[in-house]
Amino acid sequence: MKLTINEVARCLRLPVTTVDRWIRQGRIPIQKSSNGYIVNESALEKWAAMYRLPFSLPKKINTQLQEKRLENLLPAMDRGGVIYGIKGDDVETVLRGAVEKMQLPLASSKEKLYQCLLEREHLTSTGIGKGVAIPHPHDPLPDTFEKPVITTCFLEKPVDFNAVDDRLVFVMFILLSPSIKIHLHLLSRLSFCVRDNTFVEFLKTYPDSSAYFSKITEFENILDRADNS
Amino acid sequence: MRVLKLWRYPTNWAIFRLDDRLLLILMAIIVGNCSGVASVILNRSLLAMSGWLHHFRSHWWVFVLPAIGAALSCLFLEKIVKEGAGHGVPEVIYSVSRYGGLLRFRSSFSRLISSCLTIGTGGSAGPEAPVVISGAAIGSNIAKYFSLNDRQRVTLVGCGAAGAISSIFNAPIAGMVFAIEVIVGEWKSVNIVPIAIASVAGTEISRILQGNQIPFGHHLFKIDLLNVFACLGLAVLAAAASILLTRMLRSMHTISHKVSGPLWLRAAIGGCAVGIIGLFLPVVLGEGYHAVEALIGGRYSQGLVFVALASFAKIAATALTLGWGGSGGIFAPCLVIGSLVGVTYHHFLSVIWSSALWANEGYYALLGMAGLISGMLQAPLTGIFLIIEITGGYEVILPLILVSAVTTTLCHYIEPASYYLKDLVEHGHLLRPGTDARVLSDLNVPELIERDCIIVKQNMLLRDFIHIVQKSHRNYFPVADDKTGNFLGIIHLDDIRPYLFNPVMYDAVFLGQIMNTRVEVVHPNDDLLEVLRKMDVKGLFSMPVVMNNRFVGLISKATILDQYRKELMVQTSH
Repeated sequence: MKLTINEVARCLRLPVTTVDRWIRQGRIPIQKSSNGYIVNESALEKWAAMYRLPFSLPKKINTQLQEKRLENLLPAMDRGGVIYGIKGDDVETVLRGAVEKMQLPLASSKEKLYQCLLEREHLTSTGIGKGVAIPHPHDPLPDTFEKPVITTCFLEKPVDFNAVDDRLVFVMFILLSPSIKIHLHLLSRLSFCVRDNTFVEFLKTYPDSSAYFSKITEFENILDRADNS
Repeated sequence: MRVLKLWRYPTNWAIFRLDDRLLLILMAIIVGNCSGVASVILNRSLLAMSGWLHHFRSHWWVFVLPAIGAALSCLFLEKIVKEGAGHGVPEVIYSVSRYGGLLRFRSSFSRLISSCLTIGTGGSAGPEAPVVISGAAIGSNIAKYFSLNDRQRVTLVGCGAAGAISSIFNAPIAGMVFAIEVIVGEWKSVNIVPIAIASVAGTEISRILQGNQIPFGHHLFKIDLLNVFACLGLAVLAAAASILLTRMLRSMHTISHKVSGPLWLRAAIGGCAVGIIGLFLPVVLGEGYHAVEALIGGRYSQGLVFVALASFAKIAATALTLGWGGSGGIFAPCLVIGSLVGVTYHHFLSVIWSSALWANEGYYALLGMAGLISGMLQAPLTGIFLIIEITGGYEVILPLILVSAVTTTLCHYIEPASYYLKDLVEHGHLLRPGTDARVLSDLNVPELIERDCIIVKQNMLLRDFIHIVQKSHRNYFPVADDKTGNFLGIIHLDDIRPYLFNPVMYDAVFLGQIMNTRVEVVHPNDDLLEVLRKMDVKGLFSMPVVMNNRFVGLISKATILDQYRKELMVQTSH
């Protein structure tokens, strides 16, 4: 593969003008001939290592870019599924009931997950108001989950979650993610939906999963439009 | 046709695919030979000139000869080749610092002719600096022909200088050390190897053409401890003489600039004055190698007062020649003054303590030369190696090193920059590789601009602005005029934090009301040193770059540090 001078600049994370000047001053092993530049990639890499300059080929940069696009709500929710009619009168039983019904990759991790959620609940309530709670572990669980999972749990009867507005919680979104970054990304999108009162009213009708997912798709579209504008 | 094309684009030759170092060594041989030949030519023409003018020495009007020579050389430089007077070494150093060693082709012969005119007619100057600039220009132009890059060109400029000095003194080590210590200023093997090869080539070509002879003959000296200690006094005296010479040269320069009239007339006045001094003290005339030889050999039999007077006269004559517009270097005058000072010191010692067993005057003449060279150039190694090589006297090395070291230190104390570098330092043009000044001069503002700023409009509401803030990565937002797009001011998040969390303000405040309009701006062509000074004075971390009233980008200390470090790493470690 032959690198152009622009690609060399990108590899070194330098402006093209700097690379051009370095070639003129003879600081970088690139020769200028009558028909363009002669770039020897391996020599360049060796040179960058000798001067301890950052050097990464464009391929690697591309994969990094792909990683940057984070997953949205819908795939995570699809993975987690929707559970109806969770029984219980207090936070502990509700959470345990939800965890029991969730489909986890490893059955043995259920107890651990429950402990994690409970621990986080003791710190401060995850009830964010309007009858919605978003229980989640304090630290991400990269070992258990490779991809984020959101399980929507409708409760049989509203439960006191010690929420900020003291309203009783009727729906929980259990948010499990492999990293803090994804967690914050999903939390931000989820809270955007919950902020909308019509969405909360819609949830109170205990919609079936297909109607629920199409509603989420609507909100996602609004969010994407706002991001891209 | 193909052959023609090959010659037009020498960079396409297969030889350039070779290793960089090998290529430079090959080039160094060519450059060393060329500059060696140049110095032999100057040497020969000086000899021819003095032989030709010898018949006029008996006439009473002989004192106008230096005037005619200086005026002619001045006219030649000014009218024909259009180059400045002076010895040229600072020019070479300047071009090495600033332009990667680019020199004009005509520099490779102009100083040879002009200095030949000045010195051949009796002006008190040396032929070394002219051959240095010729050699350097030859190196630079060979590099240009082969379109080598700046670093390689600087090395070849050093090669040219080394070849010239090696050839004219038949002193390869001195040439090499001079080129590295004074011209290139960078002790790295990538420079040292080609320069050493060029010195060898230059010396060899001069030996082939003129025979292998030590310029000033070899003398044996008996040196005991007393004489080693006595040299310290000489070092002080040599330092004083170099300071005097430096000051005289500069003051003559200022005085001559006050004289109205064409340049050649000034040079003629200076030359005339030298001629008059020469009537009484012929030792001051010309480059003075014969005088040096006589002084080292102990054949200069005048008394203390006379020799002291001659030292002063030589200093004055040199200042008159070079300060008033003659062309030539200070190398040879330094050798003459040094040997005169040395002999003066010897006579002085003999007068005050006649019973002690002093080494003969040649020994002190030698040390004096080393002292003057080290003091004037503030290049101790050049002084030491040059004197050893041109006199073949290795046994004086210990006192020689002492004198060189002490003189350099003393001169550096009084005159922080050497004679060659003084003007450059004063104008901030001395940029040795790997120094702060060099890095800052290499980096320029366009390379440091960060362009990922979001430009906002003057009549935007705070509410809309907050949406932009959510998506941005930066704390600075340039504000532009709605219609013209002109840069008006900048918003820094720190400044507007109180309003950001007050929803009442969201629809009540326009960005034009909260922006900071009194910001220092940078132009892409600004000097980075100046930009940094502004940042330091005002305690800024970022400044907007504005060109033609348009916002171009942001320049910040963080990016400067990042780039500065990379630049420094690339420039220094090897």
